[in-house]
Amino acid sequence: MSNLVQPSIILLKEGTDDSQGIPQLLSNISACIAVVDCVKSTLGPRGMDKLIQGDRDITISNDGATIMALLDIVHPAAKTLVDIAKSQDSEVGDGTTSVVVLTGAFLNAAKPFIEDGVHPQIVRKFFRQALDMSIQFIESYAITYGATGDDKRTVLEKLAGTAMNSKLISAYKAFFAPMVVDAVMCLDEHLPIEMIGIKEVKGGAVQDSLLVKGVAFEKTFSYAGFEQQPKKIMNPKIVLLNMELELKSEKENAEVRISDPAEYQKIVDAEWSIIYDKLDKIVKSGATVVLSRLAIGDLATQYFADRDVFCAGRVPEEDLVRMAKACGGQVQTTVNDLHDEHLGTCGVLEEKQIGGKRFNVFTECPKSKTATIVLRGGAEQFIAESHRSLHDAIMIVRRAMKHDTIVPGGGAIEMALSKHLREHARTIRGKGQLIINEYAKALEVIPRTITENAGLDPTDVLNKLRQKHHAGEKYTGVDVNAGGVCNAYEALVWEPALIRTNALKAATEAAAVVLSVDETIRHPKSERDPEPSNPYPQRARPGGRR
Amino acid sequence: DAFRRSRARTRNMQAPGQGQVPVVYDEYGRPFIIVREQDRKTRVKGLDAYKANILAAQAVARTVRTSLGPRGMDKILQNPDGEVTVTNDGATILDQMEVENEIAKLLVQLSKSQDDEIGDGTTGVVVLAGSLLSQALGLLDRGIHPVRVMEGFELACEVAVKRLEAIADTVEVGSDHREAMITTAMTTLGSKVVSKHLRHMAEVAVDAVCSVADWERKDVRLDLIKMEQKPGGKMEDTALVQGIVIDKDFSHPQMPKVVNNAKIAILTCPFEPPKPKTKHSIQIDSVEKYDQMVEQERKYFSDMVKQVKDTGATLVICQWGFDDEANHLLYANDLPAVRWVGGVEMELIAIATGGRIVPRFSELSADKLGTAGTVEEITMGTQKDTMIVIRGCPEKKAVTVVVRGGNKMVVEEAERSLHDAICMTRNLIRDNRIVYGGGSAEIAASLAILEEADKVGTVEQYAMRAFADALDAIPMALAENSGLHPISSLADAKSRQSKESNPHLGVDCRALGTADMKEQGVFETLSGKIQQFRLATQVARMILKIDDVIQPSQYE
Repeated sequence: MSNLVQPSIILLKEGTDDSQGIPQLLSNISACIAVVDCVKSTLGPRGMDKLIQGDRDITISNDGATIMALLDIVHPAAKTLVDIAKSQDSEVGDGTTSVVVLTGAFLNAAKPFIEDGVHPQIVRKFFRQALDMSIQFIESYAITYGATGDDKRTVLEKLAGTAMNSKLISAYKAFFAPMVVDAVMCLDEHLPIEMIGIKEVKGGAVQDSLLVKGVAFEKTFSYAGFEQQPKKIMNPKIVLLNMELELKSEKENAEVRISDPAEYQKIVDAEWSIIYDKLDKIVKSGATVVLSRLAIGDLATQYFADRDVFCAGRVPEEDLVRMAKACGGQVQTTVNDLHDEHLGTCGVLEEKQIGGKRFNVFTECPKSKTATIVLRGGAEQFIAESHRSLHDAIMIVRRAMKHDTIVPGGGAIEMALSKHLREHARTIRGKGQLIINEYAKALEVIPRTITENAGLDPTDVLNKLRQKHHAGEKYTGVDVNAGGVCNAYEALVWEPALIRTNALKAATEAAAVVLSVDETIRHPKSERDPEPSNPYPQRARPGGRR
Repeated sequence: DAFRRSRARTRNMQAPGQGQVPVVYDEYGRPFIIVREQDRKTRVKGLDAYKANILAAQAVARTVRTSLGPRGMDKILQNPDGEVTVTNDGATILDQMEVENEIAKLLVQLSKSQDDEIGDGTTGVVVLAGSLLSQALGLLDRGIHPVRVMEGFELACEVAVKRLEAIADTVEVGSDHREAMITTAMTTLGSKVVSKHLRHMAEVAVDAVCSVADWERKDVRLDLIKMEQKPGGKMEDTALVQGIVIDKDFSHPQMPKVVNNAKIAILTCPFEPPKPKTKHSIQIDSVEKYDQMVEQERKYFSDMVKQVKDTGATLVICQWGFDDEANHLLYANDLPAVRWVGGVEMELIAIATGGRIVPRFSELSADKLGTAGTVEEITMGTQKDTMIVIRGCPEKKAVTVVVRGGNKMVVEEAERSLHDAICMTRNLIRDNRIVYGGGSAEIAASLAILEEADKVGTVEQYAMRAFADALDAIPMALAENSGLHPISSLADAKSRQSKESNPHLGVDCRALGTADMKEQGVFETLSGKIQQFRLATQVARMILKIDDVIQPSQYE
């Protein structure tokens, strides 16, 4: 930039790295590919997990988005990959590794063209064209449930099972898949994911996990007197509060001055009557269960205990919201004017022991639009990973409820696409032919990686796949169990078509973004260690920013 | 910019663990910096990662292996503060070891979850997981894919669980049928320091559980059983008190030491003038007003005592303290009182005596009082070591176990052992199926798996066999710890099991002359055993699935 006019003009701050041009583009591609290599081994049913250790906690995960986020990538171009993994996670919920691996493959495919001097914009243009064709193809290729003749539930279970295939809990997918489907079925038509609560209780085997069709939350901190409250209530009337029930000063900064000692007792009485008034109103409303987001003090606990009312204070907000949805009540911020219509109800409230913890379980809610999954497992990391896996499965089922098209997994869809694109490429004149052909080849990365991760010979399997697809068996995918190929559709490896279209879109876009960057200007600060204990003081010095 | 910085910092706190391919150079020889501080991270990948992880897990398993079984040894652990723990309990050992390695920590959590869920078998589960991983290592060396190994383990585990369910016996459990529970508790306690007074301790545990058990719901609320440690005295002095023991004394030394047919006022308000929560100040500008206030304060005290007296209470249990003036007043009015009683204890007392917790004096009434046969302050040993014992409560729903023993360490270990026994008894109430110990259940499961493995056509067959071999580690460790020859004892038990098709044959650790664990009366709960198998398999699975370890490298 400034190599003609030498040191007199300083355009950028000292230490700023501004690389540019084709070399920079290639360098970015290489960086992305290096990152892709990190997550590649997690793809597919034989994919492995990563253990990533933080300052205090460790995470063991198979989920592409989680790993990418934890890797803490600073390379500016490679960060794109983190973002697309994240976007796939929030948009579809699964296929986060696929999207990263695909991006890597696309970039790899683009690299030789760039090296040979093809303008990146041309590569991008044809990549986009290939993408459009792929999406059209998927639409014709995908199968709608109606065509399968199976009832919807079975399909959903299959989809959930496929989503769990590569995860730690894959051995229990027969156990979890119906659970996930049940949970999603509990929701209303908008399928809000936050209405499925997942609670983690350490201890117990995974098989001890359970689904509560209703709300369950852990026993909150309780004061003396709680044990004297009833622990099982049939058809309770539930009042949900967002207020403290404690003996306290009503105004923080108020001060009372008394000149007559005889008045003293009145103040004391006044405070007591405020709280008793509140408690009295609650009990009078006919409520038998009181839940509050804020504290319920010892006085209130004992008051309720005396009147056979169950109470729980400091209920987590999300649980309270779910409670409101399930039982039909409304969260109140005052106890004045508490009427029947503000109270919720459910079939049974019971306190249950789950593992080492006590849970308040509300079931048979009339408006039950919520479900709770209680996850068990031997180690914290185990449950955490199960949680992530279940989340993915739930997302898939939710998606599938709305979009009823499915595609066979196991690399079958990618192989079919690849074949389709190759055939099409031959009809194009010019550079597009080469580029689309490479794009098609890049798609094969999915079956290849699945095969590699399963410890099989990728060349061997891929050749078989190509041959089968050429022969018109368009549902053929990798069979990791027997080590060959099989009809993925019949093997019940199904995914919602949406995962694939979204993954392709995201991956192509990301590749396009990386390809269109030809200059990186990096501020010197952005690479510095944010921690005070820097073992490289010479790097940490400039610009005292603290 | 500040926002971005802080975001970067938080992200770094969550996961600064990341390492990278040493340093990557692009075609032009420039290094990439892809991951933050990549030169300070270490990364282990592939087979090396499996091996390192498995070795770490094995090291943990080895540590606790010697404490397995009735002849297992104890460990002495000293924490950084110099406090010493002597224990045989796997979960406690691992917890106090403060392991650093991440994989080893998984095993520590494993034993903890067994402890949380079942209460016993914490050593066995770790030994089993370690053994599974050693077996897996052999398979990995032979080039079998780790996922296939896990799948085989999972299959084998299900076979084992089915086998256990098939050989399990149902025992009768109920407040009139305690024998099976006592035997189970004795098995649990057998390996512990209390084994000399096995029967006595087991009875204490079972009695305690039976007193609070909810037979209809088949559940036991363990928090109704209170444990009170008192070093000094003999271990056989450990006793169950049908009632509540609190580590307190009467507030005034001259108060009577025994209250019979006590009517108890349970108060959560202090014996002092009430204070408003709102900030307040009293302005006194004349002598009369001052006198009036002093008078009023005095009146508060006498009113309180009067209010208590009026309800007919003969004993006051107070969550808060009271000053000397109130104390004297109580004494003068013949009202024995206990002060500074904790919230949990207040609750237990309320439940046991059928009283209600009263938040202020004006609400006291006769029907809110609890009743108890006797409330006694007893002195133990020669020290001024007193406890308040509340007996003869109308609701027998809360009990206390007073654990005695020669020194603090023994008492602590005895309490842990009793806790295990109590948990096991509870498990038996929940699910009254038992399997027999002494390694017999493991051998039976192992035989069943071997048989089933031959029917599996894929690589998983090898993994299943390995699982069966791994199960053998338990009887082997038992034999070894009992001074027997491990291989020959195992071979003996195994061959006899398959020859006589008697799944109750195990390793005769206690040298009683018979290997039939049913005759020996070595009972373990089925649920506990299944849990052990499943948890061990799941953790082994988790460790085997990791092929990449990224962590901050050590600075040393």
